[in-house]
Amino acid sequence: MSLETEVEVLRKVPLFRGIDATKLRLLAFISDRIAFKTGERLCSQGEEGDSAFIILAGSASVLVNTPDGERPVAQVKENAIVGEIAILCDVPRTASIVATTDMDVLTVSKDDFLKLLKEFPEMSLEVMRTLALRLERTTRDLAAARTGPAA
Amino acid sequence: MEKSLFRFIWKFSARQQVYILLITVLSYPVSYVLLELPKLIVNDAVQGDGFPREIGGFEFDQVSYLFLLCMTFLGLVVLSNGLKLYINVYKGRLGERMLRRLRFELFQRVLRFRLPHFRKVSSGEIIPMITSEVEDVGGFIGEAFALPAYQGGMLIVQLGFIFMQDPLLGLAAISSYPIQGYVIPKLQKKVILLSRQRVKNVRLIADKVGESISGVPEIHANDASAWHSADISDRLYQNFKIRYEIFNRKYFIKFLNNFMNQLTPFFFYLIGGYLVIEGNLSIGALLAVIAAYKDLAGPWKELLAYYQLVADVDVKYQTVVENFDPADIYPVERLISDEKVELQGDLVLSNVTFSGGAAGQEVYDISMTVPEGTDCIVVGPDGSGRSEVLQLAAGLVSPSSGRVDIGGQNLENLTASTLGREIAYVGGAVHIWSGTIRENLFYGLRHRPLVTVERKGESLHDYKRRLLEAKETRNPTYDISAVWDDFEAAGVANVEELDTRALDLLKSVGLEPDVYRLGLQSRLDPALNDRFAERILAVRAALGERIKGDPRLEGLVELWDKNKFNSSASIAENLFFAVPNDASFTLDQVPELPEVRAFLSETGLDERLQEAGLKVAETMLELFANVSEDSGLLNTYSFLTREELPEFDRILRISKSAAQKSTLTQADKDRLISLALKVVPARHRLGIMTDEVQERIIAARHNFHDKVVAESDLFLPIDPDVYLPPLSVEDNLLFGRPRVDRRDARQRIDAVIRAMVEENHLREPIVYAGFEYHVGVSGSRLSAGQRRRLALVRALLKNAKVTILDDIGTGMSDEDVALRATLREIVKGRTLLFGAPSHGPSSEFSMKITLDQGRIVQSGDQGA
Repeated sequence: MSLETEVEVLRKVPLFRGIDATKLRLLAFISDRIAFKTGERLCSQGEEGDSAFIILAGSASVLVNTPDGERPVAQVKENAIVGEIAILCDVPRTASIVATTDMDVLTVSKDDFLKLLKEFPEMSLEVMRTLALRLERTTRDLAAARTGPAA
Repeated sequence: MEKSLFRFIWKFSARQQVYILLITVLSYPVSYVLLELPKLIVNDAVQGDGFPREIGGFEFDQVSYLFLLCMTFLGLVVLSNGLKLYINVYKGRLGERMLRRLRFELFQRVLRFRLPHFRKVSSGEIIPMITSEVEDVGGFIGEAFALPAYQGGMLIVQLGFIFMQDPLLGLAAISSYPIQGYVIPKLQKKVILLSRQRVKNVRLIADKVGESISGVPEIHANDASAWHSADISDRLYQNFKIRYEIFNRKYFIKFLNNFMNQLTPFFFYLIGGYLVIEGNLSIGALLAVIAAYKDLAGPWKELLAYYQLVADVDVKYQTVVENFDPADIYPVERLISDEKVELQGDLVLSNVTFSGGAAGQEVYDISMTVPEGTDCIVVGPDGSGRSEVLQLAAGLVSPSSGRVDIGGQNLENLTASTLGREIAYVGGAVHIWSGTIRENLFYGLRHRPLVTVERKGESLHDYKRRLLEAKETRNPTYDISAVWDDFEAAGVANVEELDTRALDLLKSVGLEPDVYRLGLQSRLDPALNDRFAERILAVRAALGERIKGDPRLEGLVELWDKNKFNSSASIAENLFFAVPNDASFTLDQVPELPEVRAFLSETGLDERLQEAGLKVAETMLELFANVSEDSGLLNTYSFLTREELPEFDRILRISKSAAQKSTLTQADKDRLISLALKVVPARHRLGIMTDEVQERIIAARHNFHDKVVAESDLFLPIDPDVYLPPLSVEDNLLFGRPRVDRRDARQRIDAVIRAMVEENHLREPIVYAGFEYHVGVSGSRLSAGQRRRLALVRALLKNAKVTILDDIGTGMSDEDVALRATLREIVKGRTLLFGAPSHGPSSEFSMKITLDQGRIVQSGDQGA
């Protein structure tokens, strides 16, 4: 339950992949480590998001509001990051997250993350690179999806 | 007040002045003999002949004669110095008494000023007048008459001697006096004028500084610091210029005086020499005259210094006193009389005209009658004369023509003892006194000391002396430590009932929840109320049970357990498992205590903590070394401030090299230990708390309790059965720590605590604990709304016959409407004047008076 294990997990998160270990340690240190019991909510759809969750232990289900009530759309578990869009721009949560087991979560707040980016511009570059890669992949997937049925 | 300092001194200390003079004159022969005796010893006893001598029937040979003279000399030395000591102490005491009397008189006069007078004077000016400006007067009073009389006498004796030798030489000796007597006062006059200017300038500076302090947010908000700096700097320059002028003149006077004094011997040598050559004067006589003239210089210098001192002190006295003598000052009777007249009857203003000195502060020809027991609203916007009418009705200001009566009594002729007890007034700008909420609540009941304190032995003796001094200096003999609360006026029998009454009123005006919250955060001294502490401990136990029984709550709190490590608390709390008894002492400072230091080194924990501290410092340096100052990350998250970083960098470097490690100072080690002690493991996750270390800490904790906590009263153990006065009531209720790794644990557990408090009927005692909350300077720790409500309760507690409220709760919100209804209920059957800027609430009152531009435009019974 020390910084080192948290850094290990952070390193596996794609968004933080290119960032060097000291910065990740700082990020881990300024983040809050919070425990959630089974059934507790990490966040709810529609509310203002101000932090990303990095799951250190346990799992959770991602729920989306539908006319028939909340329906699970995905499961997330260890080493996953959820809600990371919230720490980059102001958007409401697009889904709710509910713990399905007891969880150990590192919460990275938007303010602190942005402060870090401002502090270390090379970190921004890494984040940008990751986002660009993701965009490129999404674009390719989209293209594949468009051309797929036609082929 | 006496316009001249001398009149003041003579009027109040004539007897003592004569006494001082008498003692001074008595001491003169003693010092004269003391000066003569050595000559006698040398000339007569050592070199003389004709022994044995007969004195008073005894025969003395030379040695015993010498012994006799020397013993006489010794005796006179003792007597002369004893007299000096006595007279100096006597003068000092007289000066201090007169100063006390003067200062008190000045303060009392401030209380006697009419309210409009305070528009012209500021506290920044008045304070230095009463405190520093009159200070010199005190030192002067003892000397005022004795010094000129004594030194003047000496001067005349010496002059007489010279005149007896030769009248011509006598004239020569005093030849410079007329010139000095003419020129010096002329110069001094200018100095006096300058002194006056200086005093006034310093007052202005004090006033400006005071204004800058009270208006400091405005200065920053408008970036006006340069302007204020220039202003003060300019005044300081004025001050310098004035003082420089004064110096110049003072030293010139000194120069002139010295010059004149040394010019006179010139005449002696010229005239005296001529006379001797002509054979009209013996050489011996000339030498004697010159010697006598030298002796003249002493008294003359003293007299001149005295003259300058008088001029200086007198001008200070006058510049002070002239400010305390406005023509319309209230008679002192109004302040000190303890006679109360019942103000039963209608409130009648007949043709009242008043002017506050500025536009919008005047009322013309107001005539109105508010029948006894009526609630009447006085409506008028600011500047309509509403506030003035209400203040007139409260007797706070006096009409310039017309009269204000209540029950046929003209308010102008009543004393404060009636006005302040029979009328309750709360104006738009309330003042809350620095002190506790309780003191502010009961302020309106403290008119005179009612129950004297029982005193015995030493304290009784001390009290009697205090009374004696007070009488001596015409200060009041009221006892500040007596019980002043007037239970009868509040309609209660004792303190408990008064508390209950205050609580009811707090509830009525909606201030009770605020005081409750303050109570939760306040510290309580269980010595005052041990039953309350017991009840808190009972709730603490019940709360602990509830938390243990409810899995949802259990996850939110880490309860204290003497055999378990608490990750949500700091290492210091875990290790000591105790709280410093002195609340001002923080846990950081604990390692510096000798007991604790000894304990740490005995158990070897100090080494371990230093290592941990090093590790923390290393991590902090690594994490934050490259973080810039303005990001705010450092201050929010690091244990170290930016200033401390280099210091720890140095400690770290030293510690890493084996050769230098021994050069770590004790202060460095203490820093490392305190750094380690600050760590809260669950929050900081620095990995320094391995299971092994936790076990050691728990073992050490037991050891610490046996060795230090049980032995001294420096610490109070964290124990389910011990109330911890240094912590707030709220912290005492929860025997544990909200978990830092659970979201909103603090808020959620607070809600539980509050519910438990209600269930256990602990709310009331906690509100009473809130009564002891210190409100800060002028109530600065309360919000404006809280201050107003507090003042309202203060006024309502008085149970006055007439209640006058100005601009309190006049809005149309539900809260204000309810407040007004409660207010009317509370004062039912008594007269109520309610000032409001608009017609909004007017339909609720049975009578309405509307003012515009200082005149009544509408008045009437509404029958509501």
